[in-house]
Amino acid sequence: MPTITPEQIPDLVRKGASCRVDAALEPLFKTGDKIRALNINPATHTRLPRYIRGKEGVIDRDHGVFVFPDTQAEMKGAKPQHVYSVRFTAQELWGADAPQKDSLYIDLFEDYMEKT
Amino acid sequence: MGAHHEPPAELSTRVKAIESLLIERGYFAAEALDKIVQIHEHELGPRNGAKVVARAWADQDYKKWLLTDATAAIADMGYSGAQGEDMVVVENTPDVHNLVVCTLCSCYPWPTLGLPPTWYKAPPYRARAVIDPRGVMKEFGLDVPEDVEVRVWDSNAELRYLVMPMRPAGTEGFSEEELANLVTRDSMIGVAVALSPSAV
Amino acid sequence: MNGAHDLGGMHGFGPVNPDPNEKLFNHEWERRIFAMYFATLASDIYSIDELRKNIEIMDPVHYLSSSYYEHWVESIETSLIDRKIVTKEEIAERMKKIDKEAA
Repeated sequence: MPTITPEQIPDLVRKGASCRVDAALEPLFKTGDKIRALNINPATHTRLPRYIRGKEGVIDRDHGVFVFPDTQAEMKGAKPQHVYSVRFTAQELWGADAPQKDSLYIDLFEDYMEKT
Repeated sequence: MGAHHEPPAELSTRVKAIESLLIERGYFAAEALDKIVQIHEHELGPRNGAKVVARAWADQDYKKWLLTDATAAIADMGYSGAQGEDMVVVENTPDVHNLVVCTLCSCYPWPTLGLPPTWYKAPPYRARAVIDPRGVMKEFGLDVPEDVEVRVWDSNAELRYLVMPMRPAGTEGFSEEELANLVTRDSMIGVAVALSPSAV
Repeated sequence: MNGAHDLGGMHGFGPVNPDPNEKLFNHEWERRIFAMYFATLASDIYSIDELRKNIEIMDPVHYLSSSYYEHWVESIETSLIDRKIVTKEEIAERMKKIDKEAA
């Protein structure tokens, strides 16, 4: 990798570095599917927060295929997979005292979910 | 906890040491770092996002594009790249109010909003935005009516979120530039609504 | 990992306290570490996921009591050492040299 010079910076900023992967992988889930977030507790890196684990939600949309942080962070490969926006009701996450109408959307990797 | 705090002088020296070693090893020029800082400190910021929102308010076709392919629609305004590679725009309506957070770190759409404010990166907001969004918004002076659905977006993967606030009343005939003046950073995170014309 | 960074839903951190007059950077070293975050990612030395992981493995008390950019110093240093770009000893030696020159 050659030395990065100031002249290169504007293009590097404008281009960024997408974690999207150009791979035609068959999605496991589709919009409207009911899922449960897995109850996993890896001691390594994950983007599945504790407050989502074991909760039931609905697939809202498929964002396409991205690098899987859990393996990438541990230098174990990109393991590309679909990422979905998943809707959980506030009551599913926080119990009956939460406002009935409110909801939370979170982007979940395929490996974090199972169909219910 | 104080015992763990490193004095700023030592932090400063550590950063200088890392920088000089990496420059020596040919990774980058010091001037490249200057340029990175200059762009992020002075060229990016919420004025970019405000222009995107104003155009969507003024142009229904653009709004449709923005809500279905935000990355392309935002790039059409000249904003793209680092920490905005894959964008989603969510629309506030009379029935839905959106709020963005990153509970695990501080993910934030740099090309359209610039670098995040300290409160966005700090534990109180990240902890409470998901469990008590209405309480958090009240601290910002925003009381969302009970019959409006609050949607919180925890941007924990590589998608970055921008809220499109509702166009304020009394702005008929406003130019895009006048509209953009009503769009604040906080209204694009969701802790505020757009300014009313009487407020500017 | 079930770390201190996984904050969603926790109680006890108090109000949000936005500061309308804050600056983007409070110290010059914050600017430099910010820029190095960008430049080292552009150099493909490591992935953004490694940087996040190396913030998360910070001692939880240190994580919660230090600033955002201090997290980046920790993480970039750990990641550079993991990738054998620099060693801990080299950083310590260079710091001594810088301090000596400043004295």
